[in-house]
Amino acid sequence: MAFNKDSIAGTMVFTIVLCLVCSFMITGTADVLKERKLTKKRDELMRNVLVAANIEGVTNDNFRDIFKAKVQPMLVNLETGEPVAVDNVLDYDANMAAINPETSSKISKDIAKIKTRANNVRIFKVNDDQGQLQALVLPVYGKGLWSIIYGFIGMEKDLNTVQGIVFYEHGETPGIGDFVNHEEWRMTWHGKQIYNSNGDVALKIVKGGAKPGDLNGVDGVSGATRTGAGVEKLIQFWFGKEGYEPLLEKLKAAGV
Amino acid sequence: MSARISTRELVISPIFANNPVAMQVLGVCSALAVSNSMQTALVMTLAVTFVLVCSNFFISLIRQFIPNSVRIIAQMTVIASLVIVVDMVLQDLAPDLSKQLSVFVSLIITNCIVMGRAEAFAMKEPPLLSVMDAIGNAAGYGFILLSVAFVRELLGAGSLFGHEIIQTVANGGWYLPNEMFKLPPSAFFLIGAIIWVVNIARRKRK
Repeated sequence: MAFNKDSIAGTMVFTIVLCLVCSFMITGTADVLKERKLTKKRDELMRNVLVAANIEGVTNDNFRDIFKAKVQPMLVNLETGEPVAVDNVLDYDANMAAINPETSSKISKDIAKIKTRANNVRIFKVNDDQGQLQALVLPVYGKGLWSIIYGFIGMEKDLNTVQGIVFYEHGETPGIGDFVNHEEWRMTWHGKQIYNSNGDVALKIVKGGAKPGDLNGVDGVSGATRTGAGVEKLIQFWFGKEGYEPLLEKLKAAGV
Repeated sequence: MSARISTRELVISPIFANNPVAMQVLGVCSALAVSNSMQTALVMTLAVTFVLVCSNFFISLIRQFIPNSVRIIAQMTVIASLVIVVDMVLQDLAPDLSKQLSVFVSLIITNCIVMGRAEAFAMKEPPLLSVMDAIGNAAGYGFILLSVAFVRELLGAGSLFGHEIIQTVANGGWYLPNEMFKLPPSAFFLIGAIIWVVNIARRKRK
């Protein structure tokens, strides 16, 4: 046999060919599934935004239509509050923009422990049937106990009262820290206020449970103090000076 | 394993008499982890079947070209590639199930049944026979997995494939589910019991 498989050259040739074939098989599959993955990601985004805006009557069949009719996604500059033109807001890679040095800035007071944040952030204006602002949904994220927790928070048109919140990605302890995405707990956010009357960020996760009538306190969950603290910090960061405060001021001044 | 066994024997024997989980105690790790419900067990069985059949087929196809010094790595490369493909397809088709199975799909790579059949059978036998061998062994694995899952889901949650069979106390019935069956140790006992029964049956036949 001309081809000696056990020679050094034979072994090399075999290994290279095998690796090439196998990698083509994997990349081929990934390529076929890419488009579908993108659609799924978009669907998940739409659903999360609708949940955060606390829209009623959203089902598996109609969420795309509701989103299209009510939600106006846009990219805005965090410092100026001005909209930024972008081709397709729904496919904007927010996570990438937050770590790319060209599109992000270092955070000086990094209480959410995320080091950098994107200069331009995707926000979602939710309008009612008359085209008036009904809710504003903003992405928030920050470090919990183990992982970065990603979510959306929806506010009423006063840009202060919470409509709903959703945490769609986290790596907190299963069965303990994963309460962040339990519906029961998420519902306790409804009606809470982020800022107090002085305009400071006042929302807190209260250990042992918030007092009745406490507009700024959300019940903490025992056993998951640090996950709760992470959530509190990420809210404080994102609604502070380096987060959405300038944008919200601008929107309020514009009278939306 | 002698060279002259019938195709029928090849498929049937690993299901009972020479079951890879019960007799050779291979692939037990995943059998413990994913056998708490019928659905995950079934999906896992299908994934292992696909990987096992394809890996046996491809490895047998190229067995004359595999240099002896890198044969294990070559087998691993083929198996790992197949597992990655399965994982991607599963994430696309059933994202929720894929989350439940979590790392255990990727861990098919280290499932000794797959490696074992590649090394012990596919390296020596032609492709068609290797495929038969793979089907038999996958069926043997699936048989154990599904039997264990049947008992665990029925006693642990009162349901099968998520459908209620015994009405539980929580739903207003009489059955208080035995939570132990939802936890991995129960699979230890059940697989142990199966090994026991298979051994008795084998001894009787002799």
